[in-house]
Amino acid sequence: MENTEYDVIIVGSGIAGCVMAKTLTQAGKKVLLLEAGLSAGINLDKNGNFYNYVDYLNTYYKANAKVPNSPYPNIKDAPSPNVLDIQATPSVDKGYYVQEGELPFASDFLRGPGGTTLHWLGSTPRMLPNDFQMKTNYNVAVDWPITYNELVPYYEMAELEIGVAGDASVQPNANEYTKGYEFPMKKIPQSYLDQKFMALVDKVNKGEHPVQIDKKKVTIGLTSTPQGRNAVPNEKYPYIDVMWNAEQQKLVMTKHMYWSGKDRAFKELDKKEKYQYLPVGAVWDPNTGQRCEGNASCVPICPVQAKYNALKSLAKADESKLTIKTQSVASKVLHNGEKTQITGVVYKTYAFGDDAIEYKEVIATAKIYVLAANAIENAKILLASEAANSSKQVGCNLMDHLCLLTWGLLPEKGYPFRGPGSTTNISSFRDTDTRKDHSAWICPVDNWGWGWPKFSPGSDVQDAVKEKKFGKELRNHLSDVLPRQLLLHYECEQLPNKDNRVSIKDEYRDALGNHRPVIKYNVSDYEIKAFAAAKAINDQLFKAAGIKDFTKYGEKDENGKFKNPDIVTPPRSKEIYNFWGAGHIVGTHRMGKDADKSVVDKNLCTWDHNNLYLVGCGNMPTLGTSNPTLTMLALTFKAAEAILKKI
Amino acid sequence: MEANNKNTKTFLQISVHLTGYDEMDLLGTGMLESYYDVVIHENNLHLVSEFLTTSEKILGDLPNINDKIRQQLIDDVKFNSLTSNIIMMWYMGTWNGNVVSPQSYIQGLVWKAADTHPPGAKQPGYGSWENPPITIHPPVAVKPAAKAETLTTV
Repeated sequence: MENTEYDVIIVGSGIAGCVMAKTLTQAGKKVLLLEAGLSAGINLDKNGNFYNYVDYLNTYYKANAKVPNSPYPNIKDAPSPNVLDIQATPSVDKGYYVQEGELPFASDFLRGPGGTTLHWLGSTPRMLPNDFQMKTNYNVAVDWPITYNELVPYYEMAELEIGVAGDASVQPNANEYTKGYEFPMKKIPQSYLDQKFMALVDKVNKGEHPVQIDKKKVTIGLTSTPQGRNAVPNEKYPYIDVMWNAEQQKLVMTKHMYWSGKDRAFKELDKKEKYQYLPVGAVWDPNTGQRCEGNASCVPICPVQAKYNALKSLAKADESKLTIKTQSVASKVLHNGEKTQITGVVYKTYAFGDDAIEYKEVIATAKIYVLAANAIENAKILLASEAANSSKQVGCNLMDHLCLLTWGLLPEKGYPFRGPGSTTNISSFRDTDTRKDHSAWICPVDNWGWGWPKFSPGSDVQDAVKEKKFGKELRNHLSDVLPRQLLLHYECEQLPNKDNRVSIKDEYRDALGNHRPVIKYNVSDYEIKAFAAAKAINDQLFKAAGIKDFTKYGEKDENGKFKNPDIVTPPRSKEIYNFWGAGHIVGTHRMGKDADKSVVDKNLCTWDHNNLYLVGCGNMPTLGTSNPTLTMLALTFKAAEAILKKI
Repeated sequence: MEANNKNTKTFLQISVHLTGYDEMDLLGTGMLESYYDVVIHENNLHLVSEFLTTSEKILGDLPNINDKIRQQLIDDVKFNSLTSNIIMMWYMGTWNGNVVSPQSYIQGLVWKAADTHPPGAKQPGYGSWENPPITIHPPVAVKPAAKAETLTTV
């Protein structure tokens, strides 16, 4: 047992954990942050940090398959899932997940300092007001215990923290933003490919063969995507920091106060100084990464850290109040039964390097405990602790966006493989009446060719060489085909289902003796219907726009196995569909207004233990059609405020 | 040393015709020696030596070079996989699917062919993606510079 008494112990240094640590320490609270991954990744010394990051980058260059986790170490004592390990179920012997469901769960996350924000794409659309009331509006799933309007102040904090670049005025439901609201930075320029595609869509919308649903014309609407990467600062943006106001007992966005790292205090801005938002650069050098430089590798790594990652927030914490312990894997929270307080957190440490194996088990104590370890890890810790589960909902309702990918060749060159992963999305199907019958979707236009489904451009070269192309013929072929590649992905909303779940079994453990997640996963008719509806729209659009369709589902490898095992076939569906994971892992410890149907209340405090808070995407009762990180961070600010009120 | 240089040169010249890129492009990758080493170390030396001899002969018949390459390197069972691997290495920086080195990934010709840059390197700068890529046309012959002036310090 450690002697130090902390105000708060946070498990996990991803975005939720780091922003929690920053907010609480700046408010004067003493925090212990436990991180399962390697110490090198959290090096707050600038040189050490830089060299570690360069090592990630070189690992990425050298990786044969440049998948989301390819730059980062996979530790046997705190393993991460890898998309390369996904195979048809049942699957117990490959990778971190034990998959016992009908279909494999195909999304990964990263256990290590900075968490999955190291490889996230950075898209930050808000959820739409109706997304919070699916039961009331569409008679499916559940309502959230809070409304969109209640979350708006926290959305604004999250957009400041991440540093969102975007045009608020063109977003769906822009009228539901605070009047005159602007993002911290101007929108990231939409790609040349987007412009070509938008022109084609515009022609289809206005032409003789517009896209139809049930013989009724539909207009396909596109929007620039707000995103957490550095762009031109918006001179109209007024906010500087998020600060705990003890008098008002709430978090406020400051216009005149700023956090001074040197003084470890909020200071008044010099009256003569005109404030302008300043992009947050790389952790090792504030002048690096002031703008997105077009590396086109946001997933898995932004070489200049122009894309937000959680370590940027951690760097702003009050170091004098913060203790960070790395290579410290939380395995359990301690309690004396239902409806009692949490009395400690058990974590195991491991040494790394020179094959030294040295494990230690430690108990740390605090007034408040916060699990910020990711939706799957939080559920695992709670299940192993037999904590917070009087509702029996822990681990249930695992959700993801089901990505139906479609790909084709544009009639003219759009020059993909350039710029951020996506800068524009089809937004007009995010909230329509059809949500009674099937999933809504958002459809990002991808800037990186057919890389996701086909491993382009490598596969294009390989195929051409197999066809015996060489020399000028090969070069001209690639120069013709690659710049015309178009990829869309229809991200369909998955509904909560108690049978889609994370559980633990004693026979499946990692090197430290912690449980591996056992996953049961499937898709429902509600989602399969959305595949058919989205594909019908896609096919009409491709045809009318002169985009040559190359989409193919159900392809098999040389052993006769489906290349992508996430597949639905007749009779479950009319046609064969493949879908891909979005990396949006959500729902495993949902919030709600009833203690018997949810794990946490609307302040993210567990119903069962009034000093245990959960943060992360596991809290989300439904997913909507937004990338979840922004909403999750808004909830994290809400939780931080509730904790500060309590202590 | 002499022989090695000669072989590297043959490897370079046949690579020009296998990839469709000229000598300056290939030399500009800075990968020639590394790739030649890979060819030597990953294959039967006798096969490589035969490949280079055949290549040298083929290079002596420039007017028919594409036909000769097809017949004697691509369609020939003995050389087919070696030849394919060499093309893949120049385009993708890989040998049998394995990335040769961080630099080889960055220097892959495929990015040039697609009018772009390798993801994560040689970044073109903020907002560049909004416009079509800048195409670098083949260099035009320039007159050799006049005799360089000697810089003197005072």
